[in-house]
Amino acid sequence: MTSSPSETETTVHPLQEYADRVAEAVGGTAEITFDTIKVKVPSEQWVSSLTTARDDLGLIFFSFLSAIDWSSEVAVGDPFPEEVEDRLELLVTLGDLSEGRRVTFSTDLDQESPAIPSLIEVFAGANWHEREAHEMFGIDFEGHPNLIHLYLPDAFQGNPLRKSYPLLSREVKPWPGTVDVEAMPGSDDEEEPEGPSEENPEA
Amino acid sequence: MVLDQDLVRHLSEASVSVELETPEMTLNIGPQHPSTHGVLRLVARVDGERAFDVQPVIGYMHRGYEKISEVRTYPQVTTLVNRIDWVSGYANEVPFIVAAEKLLGVEVPERAQFIRLILTEMARISSHLIFMASYPLELGAATPLFFALRERERVLDLLEGVTGGRFHPNFNRIGGVKPAYGSGSATRKVIQDLPAGFFAETRVAMDKVLYAVDELDALVADNEIIVARTKGVGILPPDVAASFGVSGPNLRASGVKFDLRKVEDYLPYHLFDFEIPVGENGDCWDRWHVRLLEIRQSVRIVQQAIDGIPSGPLQAKVPKIIKVPLGETYVRAENPKGEMGYYLVSNGNQGPYRLKIRTASFSNISILPWILEGVLIPDIIAIMGSLDFVLGDVDR
Repeated sequence: MTSSPSETETTVHPLQEYADRVAEAVGGTAEITFDTIKVKVPSEQWVSSLTTARDDLGLIFFSFLSAIDWSSEVAVGDPFPEEVEDRLELLVTLGDLSEGRRVTFSTDLDQESPAIPSLIEVFAGANWHEREAHEMFGIDFEGHPNLIHLYLPDAFQGNPLRKSYPLLSREVKPWPGTVDVEAMPGSDDEEEPEGPSEENPEA
Repeated sequence: MVLDQDLVRHLSEASVSVELETPEMTLNIGPQHPSTHGVLRLVARVDGERAFDVQPVIGYMHRGYEKISEVRTYPQVTTLVNRIDWVSGYANEVPFIVAAEKLLGVEVPERAQFIRLILTEMARISSHLIFMASYPLELGAATPLFFALRERERVLDLLEGVTGGRFHPNFNRIGGVKPAYGSGSATRKVIQDLPAGFFAETRVAMDKVLYAVDELDALVADNEIIVARTKGVGILPPDVAASFGVSGPNLRASGVKFDLRKVEDYLPYHLFDFEIPVGENGDCWDRWHVRLLEIRQSVRIVQQAIDGIPSGPLQAKVPKIIKVPLGETYVRAENPKGEMGYYLVSNGNQGPYRLKIRTASFSNISILPWILEGVLIPDIIAIMGSLDFVLGDVDR
């Protein structure tokens, strides 16, 4: 992953042993980014891996399901400094209700026609979260009984949280951005504001 | 008197069916209804007095914060996130700013951490007091509202004195906190700290809150009508709650002794002595009672924090233009409504690349179709109110 941190490489993270155990049980690979355990599993075993996590690892609490649109070209915000592999990453965070363990499971989906079996039989709470991911990212959850818009009006077109989806108000009028940044008190060695950014072309 | 022969024949042929059937109807509640705490619409099939297949319709308040935050800087995003759950706006800021600090590797001064903790607990007290006011009102008891709101006002006045805002404090900065007092004086070098007398006044307010909690306890717990309407109503088993992601006081009311303040390290809660109240049956009564007990625990935490607050700066040294390094993390916190978390992905710029906002009320009300199946129509209000949600927290 392009966003992997390098800070934890020198010492073994205290969560490393647990992360490896989870990864082995569900058949994935573990990575720890800033105290967050992320276990990547192949999309074919998405449902079976999360069933294992619930039944064998005690991760019974369904925290959230969402996605990240990894794209080198973005219509809003700033792109990554280097090219990223274009894909949709589906995330599910589960937790236990005793020791406070939490694990984020992820799998990569194709950006063109993302589809994956629904988790609704494993976690009842996935119902609304999958509807949200469906309207926001266009992911097709196979076997979901009611895959209709959750937040957006019925006639809404497009998937707003995709990086290719423009923010129309921003197209019309640029945000003032850095104009009203106030200096931190007592910081003499602060950096001078940088030159014009795309958020504030007039600066 | 002449009898209408047709009517006589009709009546003599009519037979009374022993199995009385009521026509099935569709009942629409909301989107504007006092019990929905915002704009939530419920569509239910009703058969007589019972509701089936209740479908919540949400999204009336969707403001697209996840998308907007992709074009805002980190300090700007804090102003957005304290509008998510507006009855505890302060508590929303903390996990977001902690996530950004985690990626930056900033060490927050101890005094700032204590102040964050004190204000988070005060936000919890004010949020739970709103529940103490509104829930009995929804069940027809208006009196507790006055007791609870009087104390909430006391707490909000203190929050306003420190942050400048009652609902939207916007008080956290990356690396610390920024009091309203003494601000705007970068050239004059005024030492910034909390307003004089804040701690003394908070102590007084906490004592008064404790007294009011006892009053509320007596007012509601001794009220036979409220007890009858809440005991045994809307029972939520712990395994169902976990599967739907129901968290916070709603989960603890079902008997699960789990509190993120005890297991996560976003604020130094490990330094304080407090208990996790749990319910026994997971019914509406327990959900009310757990929140009442939590106010007492929050007061304990605030009192201990005031006793032990270290001196020192309120702000770590950070550059004026903050660029957060590449990385991703998930930080979750025990908010008044339950688990609030931010999955933050940074691409090394001034604003997030992606910010997933996990809100408690969203998962908490996704339980509605399950928990309202087959209940009496008046119980819909009792159960919905007991879940203590805010639509801003549902719709984001």
